[in-house]
Amino acid sequence: MKSKTPIFFLAPAMAIIALFVVYPIVDTVRLSFLSPDGKFIGLNNYVNVLTSNDVLNLKRFPFTHPPWGSLIHNAVWIALHLPLSLLLGLLFAVVFRNVKGSSIAKSLIFLGMVTPMVVGGWMIRFMFDRDLGIVNLLFRLVGLSDLANKTWTAWPQLSMLATILGAVWVWTGFSMIVYSAALATIPREYYEAADIDGASGFQKFIHITLPLLKPATIVVIIMTILEELKIFDIVFVATMGGPGGSSSVLALQMYLMAFKYFEVNKATAIAVLLALLTLPPTIYVARSVRRG
Amino acid sequence: MSRAISAKFKGLILIIAVVCFVAGVATGWYIKPTPPPPKPTLVVIGPYSGSEMKAFMPVLEEAEKELGVKIEYRIYRAEELSTILPSHFAAGMTPGDVILFCHPVTIRKLAEKGHLIDLTKIIKKDKYPKAILDAVTVNGKLYGAPWVANFKPGFWYRKSFFEKHGLKEPKNWREFVNLLDKMRKVLGKDDVIASPDSAGWPLSDIAEHFIIYSSGLKVFEKLKTGEIRFTDSAVKSAFKDKLVWLIKYGYFSEPEDWTTIMEKWWKGEYGLYFMGDWILTMVKDPEDLDVIMLTAFEDSASKAITACFPDFIIVPKYTKYPKLAKELAAFLASAKAQSIRVKNGGCVATHKDVSPDAYPAAARGLAEKIKGMEVVFDLDDTVGGEFQTTFWDQLKRLWVEPEAVDEILAEIESKQPTP
Repeated sequence: MKSKTPIFFLAPAMAIIALFVVYPIVDTVRLSFLSPDGKFIGLNNYVNVLTSNDVLNLKRFPFTHPPWGSLIHNAVWIALHLPLSLLLGLLFAVVFRNVKGSSIAKSLIFLGMVTPMVVGGWMIRFMFDRDLGIVNLLFRLVGLSDLANKTWTAWPQLSMLATILGAVWVWTGFSMIVYSAALATIPREYYEAADIDGASGFQKFIHITLPLLKPATIVVIIMTILEELKIFDIVFVATMGGPGGSSSVLALQMYLMAFKYFEVNKATAIAVLLALLTLPPTIYVARSVRRG
Repeated sequence: MSRAISAKFKGLILIIAVVCFVAGVATGWYIKPTPPPPKPTLVVIGPYSGSEMKAFMPVLEEAEKELGVKIEYRIYRAEELSTILPSHFAAGMTPGDVILFCHPVTIRKLAEKGHLIDLTKIIKKDKYPKAILDAVTVNGKLYGAPWVANFKPGFWYRKSFFEKHGLKEPKNWREFVNLLDKMRKVLGKDDVIASPDSAGWPLSDIAEHFIIYSSGLKVFEKLKTGEIRFTDSAVKSAFKDKLVWLIKYGYFSEPEDWTTIMEKWWKGEYGLYFMGDWILTMVKDPEDLDVIMLTAFEDSASKAITACFPDFIIVPKYTKYPKLAKELAAFLASAKAQSIRVKNGGCVATHKDVSPDAYPAAARGLAEKIKGMEVVFDLDDTVGGEFQTTFWDQLKRLWVEPEAVDEILAEIESKQPTP
């Protein structure tokens, strides 16, 4: 006869998970199929959300500048923010690998990561300001006055780019730290053997470092994609999704629907869509962990 | 035997009575009387900070004296309250006992859900404009007491700047454009009109001013109900002929935080600055201010200006002190409280008994100027909700991308209410 002790010990945790995780998820899904007066309306909320220009604006995408709808904006975030923050993190980790005193530089880069996102959002407003912005100053110095003489967050052509580039500064610290830790685990003997074989620095990087960094790269990619899909605070503070919805993202749409327009059912439909989008990377991580 | 017991019993009672008496006297002598309960502290929430808060605090100090309570003032912007209040109320809590809040649409929704206390009995309805009270009345019950209101008259300028450069106030559109061209020469740049930005509302005030000027009050009022759509020709021409024309030819600056750009304008970097009359409390010398109203021009379609809805005083059902909170709401809505507030400038009383003498000189100058003009509530606050957010956000885009005006108006129209 099996012992009932494990069930006894699991019960409190399961009860808490059921109450605070399972129930809200089930109720969110339930609400997404209802009208504001509680009637079952099938997929209507999903259809309304996906046919709204705020979420998917295929009339403009890809031939004109944003607004393209928040769903596409999230995809653009992944397309730009992920490679930039990943490559920069890798670059810094490799460059600072054997440099004395590099921990100070690493700490400075990691500062973006420990800075609250809201502060990050405010800093983006200043970084890309026509008069005060450091980015504008750099463009002015290289003679690109068209980009220098605009407050980026005020222009639909540039506002999403400003939030993405600002978030790269915030997020690079994460990939740098993950890569730094992974680099420390690569045995020195591999490089010594490559040296004996006469391999160049570039060859060592391509044939030893990069393959052995694969697990770390997967972690960085998955975590960054999850962050990009649920990005909210930086956009909320820096641009509020504007101008004209040109930098809006799904999480911000969900917030506006729920707490500004009080359209809870449509907001839950967006929440479910967002959860479905984050599901594949999450499952992949879970499987990787199980495989060890 | 029984008589002896009875005598003993009487003696015992006597002794107990004496002991109690002595103990009582002694206790009364040595133990200090219980102190009176501390004054309750009422939390008042409002949007005023900086100079506006400075002008508001004397009212609360007077309320403390009058009602014998302590008042703690906390600042929350109206945009924040729109999201904070519904969630707090849904949980049966309130962040404050008395709240000053300017969105009548949200107030009505909160009242319909039973979150607010009925203030009908504490407000004398004949003392306030009916349109204001109607905005926060649900099923015949009043859920907001009117506080002071603000006008959004037009483009402010500094008299000293005009005098220094020999500029004159225009009377029609042609003179207005001439003035802007002269300002261009004086300032040595194209963008002579400051574009104040916040969540998007100062730009919406400018757009509404142009709608009234170009298309008149009827069109403006029908836009609120949705009887006239944003892509209708009358509205399109209101935008394209004047406002978009000015933006396209660079007369307006890039949108910038309204407080930052106000300082630049005050220093002389810009010639004109559109804002509500609360600007009178924000500048060093309000007497140096005057205002150009396009809607007062001889070629204006209507002689009218917009006004914000006043901040309404609401009392949440979840306050610990409902009686005191109602008393405070009644005091704030009174002529006495509003007189104290208007004395410091930057607003107008909604209570009809507030004397014109209560206003400072600069405000009296404005009052003189708007005499005879019709006052209407602004469009975005009246409609509220998703329309308001979209209207603000799309206008920000219009300011930097005027050639997209047709698409922008269509986007606004998609969120406009239908009749």
